[in-house]
Amino acid sequence: MNRVPRRRDRLVGASLAVVTALALVGCSGGDPSSTDGELTGTITFWHAYGADSKELETLREVIIPGFEAKYPGADVEDVAVPYDQLHQKMITAAAGGDLPDVMRADIIWVPEAAKLGLLERLDTAMPDFEELAAKVFPGTLETNRYQDGYYGLPLDTNTRVLMYNADALAAAGVSEPPATFDELRELADKLAGTDIYAFADNGLSGWNVLPWIWSAGGDITDENYTKATGYLNSPESVAGVTLLFDLFQKEQMPNIVLGGTGGVPTSDGLATGKYATILDGPWMYPIFEAAHPDFELQVGPVPAGPGGSVSVVGGEDIVVFRGSRNKALALEFTRYLLSDEAQLEFAKIGQMSVLRDLDVVEVNPTYGPFVEQLKTAKPRPPVPAWPKIDDLLQRRLQAAFGGEMSVQEALDAAAEEIDALLAQG
Amino acid sequence: MTAVPTVASRPDRAGEPPRPTGPRARRPIRWSYGSGRRRDARTLIAYAFLAPAFAMFLIVMLLPIGKAVQVSFYDWLPFPGADNTFVGLDNYTRALGDPQFRLSVVNAVVYMLVTVPGQIVLGLGVALLLQNRLPGRMVFRVLFYLPVVTSWVVVSLLFRYLFATDGGLVNWVLVEGLGVVDEPIGWLDSRWTAIAALCALGIWKGIGWTAIILLAGLTGVPRELHEAAAVDGASYLRRVWHVTLPALRRTLVFVSVMLVIGSFNVFISVLLMTQGGPAGQTEVPLTYTYRETFNFLEFGYGSAVAVLMTVVVLILSIGQMMLANRAERGE
Repeated sequence: MNRVPRRRDRLVGASLAVVTALALVGCSGGDPSSTDGELTGTITFWHAYGADSKELETLREVIIPGFEAKYPGADVEDVAVPYDQLHQKMITAAAGGDLPDVMRADIIWVPEAAKLGLLERLDTAMPDFEELAAKVFPGTLETNRYQDGYYGLPLDTNTRVLMYNADALAAAGVSEPPATFDELRELADKLAGTDIYAFADNGLSGWNVLPWIWSAGGDITDENYTKATGYLNSPESVAGVTLLFDLFQKEQMPNIVLGGTGGVPTSDGLATGKYATILDGPWMYPIFEAAHPDFELQVGPVPAGPGGSVSVVGGEDIVVFRGSRNKALALEFTRYLLSDEAQLEFAKIGQMSVLRDLDVVEVNPTYGPFVEQLKTAKPRPPVPAWPKIDDLLQRRLQAAFGGEMSVQEALDAAAEEIDALLAQG
Repeated sequence: MTAVPTVASRPDRAGEPPRPTGPRARRPIRWSYGSGRRRDARTLIAYAFLAPAFAMFLIVMLLPIGKAVQVSFYDWLPFPGADNTFVGLDNYTRALGDPQFRLSVVNAVVYMLVTVPGQIVLGLGVALLLQNRLPGRMVFRVLFYLPVVTSWVVVSLLFRYLFATDGGLVNWVLVEGLGVVDEPIGWLDSRWTAIAALCALGIWKGIGWTAIILLAGLTGVPRELHEAAAVDGASYLRRVWHVTLPALRRTLVFVSVMLVIGSFNVFISVLLMTQGGPAGQTEVPLTYTYRETFNFLEFGYGSAVAVLMTVVVLILSIGQMMLANRAERGE
């Protein structure tokens, strides 16, 4: 039966056509890559700068436009991925074949990604690699090493220092932050019975416990990262962890160390006076300014033990992926991020520079204590198996803090398992 | 008088046996094919309509499941050029011996045992209430169904804040509102209280769905039986037990099978509310396999765990349906 097409039918047909056209527009492919030698085209850059952060603002309004002005025809598309998801996203993209061109990776992911064959080896791909390497701190460069090659370049570095709340310390009758293990124990004793926790941290992974292990004179592995037994479960390492364990037993460390999500985060607790001290990094200044403008952040060195005051090195490296279709531009962008202008811009908003001759203290005096701490800070073992090692260390220690085993037993068990992982290279 | 064409007068049907005519006779359209076999075109049209959906099912579900089963027998990395070694049943024996996996299964079973009856009982209660002709019944239906259509991500984060130890609404109600507890409870700080919070979220989110389905099923309950029972002096609750529930059996079986499957698939709420913590105590099988696969690149092992869970859920569902059929036949 034929019907005369009514106005409504024509309208439906027209809207369907429009919708289809709009949908298909979204399916258009990206720009074609440039030929070698011309620095034009589009590259994608993944990073974990938080939404609404100053870092993201600087990236999008200063850094990338600066690069695009220098190389007209070049276009950098940045993709912000929350830090917790960036590692997984990289793995999934590797499996699916759509990795970006450049990524700002946490330093602990680089050896693993290099082992998986995802990264471009920069010391052979960049003719000026030696000069760039000479510009940066050696410790930061080493985080990019895998076997004989360098698979990235450092972008920013940081470390943890002791941050304290002067009012909370005053409640204990103390005017200076604890400078040694013993002073921290004394602070805990003085705060017993109050609502204030002497020290708070949000986990027991390497990032959390290594400053204490190293400051106590212990270590996690030997120098060549081949063995953990004898190091991780040495008396000194056990003493470092026991300091935290004792605080936890005396209820001077909150439950969040076990990883529960119901408690007050370290930064909020410090600003509101619930926690007397925490360990954290230079990126916290802008965060405290935004969330707790009335709180005056003060810092001091990590409390010293028999091994001195030794903190843990963090930071990010820039990596270029092997599958990048526009490597020339990607490598140039990497060079640009290491340039004095870019590093200076980042230094202004809480990202400490890796350049040896950029005096970040001049840029922002609050960096002083961090620069000081970085002089003795140590990196976590740059081995491909580090994410697994980190997780099992955290699990064992959380079991110990939860009362299932002693700290010594936990570290013994962890050392044995870590040996097996280190043996895999 | 118009000429009515009779069967025999149509040239292309000459030689055919006479077919029933009359107002009720249906005439299937018949087309012949090259080989001369005649097919019922209606069946073919049916297959043609099913084909796209089946193609989707094949590509999006069956093939990935098959691949996951294959991967579970290997030590596997999804990168081109990776060296994937066949390990046979190693991944499975590892899973069965892994204490963390066993813990996650226990958590999933507990979650199931709490949320499935919870949702059925509360959903049935809501459905029975909604059956009455209250003014504003439509509004209530929408309100009860609203949690079902909310995003799991959003409500998981919301419930995480609700159950926060200091400043969470639940603790505020318990400590200051009702005064039943002295100290705020660290809901997400220990295993069983965290699981209780997860179950609360699961039940809250599913009541509406169960209620709507049971409400539809309630329309099939014969009114005469209810009236007869009322005349015989049965109270409301006895009528529900003896008349409504038996009539709802099929619907209840369907609902409970779906809820069991759903409860073993709990993932987003655990990932966002407790992150498997504290110390991996509230891990469920899906978060466990997610972590193993994507954080530690154990794709083979993660796939083995996923296959094991699929088998478990399949056995449970088939078991439930068989039990229900047997009970029905036994009547």
